Amino acid sequence: MDLVSISLVLLVFLLLLLLGGVWIAVALLATGFVGMQFVGGGIPAGSVLATTIWGNSASWELAALPLFIWMGEILFRTKLSEEMFRGLAPWLNRIPGRLMHVNVLASGLFGSVSGSSAATTATVAKIALPELNRRGYDEKLSLGSLAGAGTLGILIPPSITMVIYAVAANVSIIQVFLAGFIPGALVMFLYSGYIAGWHMLHPDKSPPAEPKMSFSEKMRESRNLIPVSLLIIFIFAALALGWATATECAAWGVVASFAIAWKQGFLSRDNFWMSVMGTVKVTCMIMLILAGAAFMKQSMGYTGIPNALASWVDGLNLNPYALIAVLTVMYIILGTALDGISMIVLTTAVVLPMIEKAGFDLVWFGIFLVLVVEMAEISPPVGFNLFVLQTMSGRDSNFVALAALPFFFLLIVAVAIVTVFPGLVMWLPRLVFPG
Amino acid sequence: MSGEAGIHGMLGGGGAGKRSVLRVVLDGLYLWAGYLAGFFLIMILLLMMALSLGRPLGINIPAGDEFAAWAMAAMAFLGLAHTFRSGDMIRVGLLVDRLEGRRKQIAEVICLLIGIGVVGFFAWHATVFTRFSWILNDRATGVIPVPLWIPQLAYCSGLILLTIAMIDELVHVLGGGTPHYEKPKPKTAEEVIEQALQSAV
Repeated sequence: MDLVSISLVLLVFLLLLLLGGVWIAVALLATGFVGMQFVGGGIPAGSVLATTIWGNSASWELAALPLFIWMGEILFRTKLSEEMFRGLAPWLNRIPGRLMHVNVLASGLFGSVSGSSAATTATVAKIALPELNRRGYDEKLSLGSLAGAGTLGILIPPSITMVIYAVAANVSIIQVFLAGFIPGALVMFLYSGYIAGWHMLHPDKSPPAEPKMSFSEKMRESRNLIPVSLLIIFIFAALALGWATATECAAWGVVASFAIAWKQGFLSRDNFWMSVMGTVKVTCMIMLILAGAAFMKQSMGYTGIPNALASWVDGLNLNPYALIAVLTVMYIILGTALDGISMIVLTTAVVLPMIEKAGFDLVWFGIFLVLVVEMAEISPPVGFNLFVLQTMSGRDSNFVALAALPFFFLLIVAVAIVTVFPGLVMWLPRLVFPG
Repeated sequence: MSGEAGIHGMLGGGGAGKRSVLRVVLDGLYLWAGYLAGFFLIMILLLMMALSLGRPLGINIPAGDEFAAWAMAAMAFLGLAHTFRSGDMIRVGLLVDRLEGRRKQIAEVICLLIGIGVVGFFAWHATVFTRFSWILNDRATGVIPVPLWIPQLAYCSGLILLTIAMIDELVHVLGGGTPHYEKPKPKTAEEVIEQALQSAV
């Protein structure tokens, strides 16, 4: 069989398994196995499997993954969301859109300590949604901005998605983390700009301002945010100044989160064990997917498909912008059916050689991928953020999906901006890692 | 810990009042392997803190990086069966979740058969791999020459346990039961948040 038919067979096989409801990790392993059958030279699939996956799993760098997950699990069980609302609200009276901006800012803050977008959405929405409704803010805009801003959880480091990409693509976790800060700020700016603009166009839908507070009163309301802010600054500094490796940084984050939970009185034995076992389950789920992806990548490498694809795309002499546009459309379609982790591991097995050949930096591409995964999170029918908000608000799925649509387009704008100005992504990692 | 016990009490208690010895042993195995994975998570944290604090103080943990890597692998594989049982191993539910009755049962049986085949194959070769390390007396290349089969034991036993959990599940589904990994649709906001946290995306 020629490469094109082999690729088609493997693609159809994988899609059948995935759509049939086979566990994603199992589907990847099975596809890797079938791929190995097309390789000449009698390479034994079984021993390649066992060796590759042991080599990939016993990794000290990967240990950052469970620790960052753990950190989010602990902070999630504190009353951080309440404190964020109280601490941020007094400062927003003068800006058009007022408290609506809490959705964006609180998500940005929580995203800086959490690596998951669904958890960020749920945490922020828990308090902000009822509070904003009670004050008469527009529910549609509120839901949309929560869905959109919740995805900041994976764009602003630490980010589970970024760790997975960095490990699968074999680039530095710290560089991808550093690359995420400025695009994270950019997306926050776009969202807040949209919210402000919307309220200027609909002044009738802006609820009255909150009672005035003096500066010292505002500070008193916000002082509970100090520990979290310190933690965020610490994580950023540790990464940017090279004090610690990503894994050590994650360990410090876990300890600091325990301190915050303890201070708030949430560090019970039950909570501790729940956070441990919750972390175990999430980590095991991700690690098996990573294992499947590692084997599939190995198998694909033997078949030569990724390189052939890379040469073919190279031969088309596509404009790099056209390539990114085509990939964006492809990921938006994929994102309607697949979750973010699967999208990333599938990509790294097949698309990366093509991206490298087209002259894109793999760190930059990681941020591009995170942005398209964010879009997938808020696009129907399986966008997880939509599902979270649907249940929390009691609205139907169409209402929430439509509410999120403007923020979906803002993410496309963000993709366009970082594609035209790649420096926004690469400036910070290049500053810290020159050369 | 009470949450875990609660969930397991619920799962075991469907149907007959008394649970068979095999049932108790298997459930205990999945759960305790899960706790062991939790123990390795705590070990990773302690090791990384010790490495990070020890460096400025001039204390060096011999082969600390390697131990962290092995703890990572042990955690990842030992917790698999528990993760699978709790329904946290993700799949695309677009079609399966819409099926009902007999069709749903057939779909689950096919998925489980594929799962058993693939994971069983993997478990077999991981075991062969570990056995070779033992026979060839492979040792770590770092400061402490630990025989490699010791950390690899967690690798193959975790996969064997996952295969057993899948076979267990297949028997259960063939007998007409609802798969344990099937999560009830969340109803309250709290449940949604819990599940959101477990999705990791």
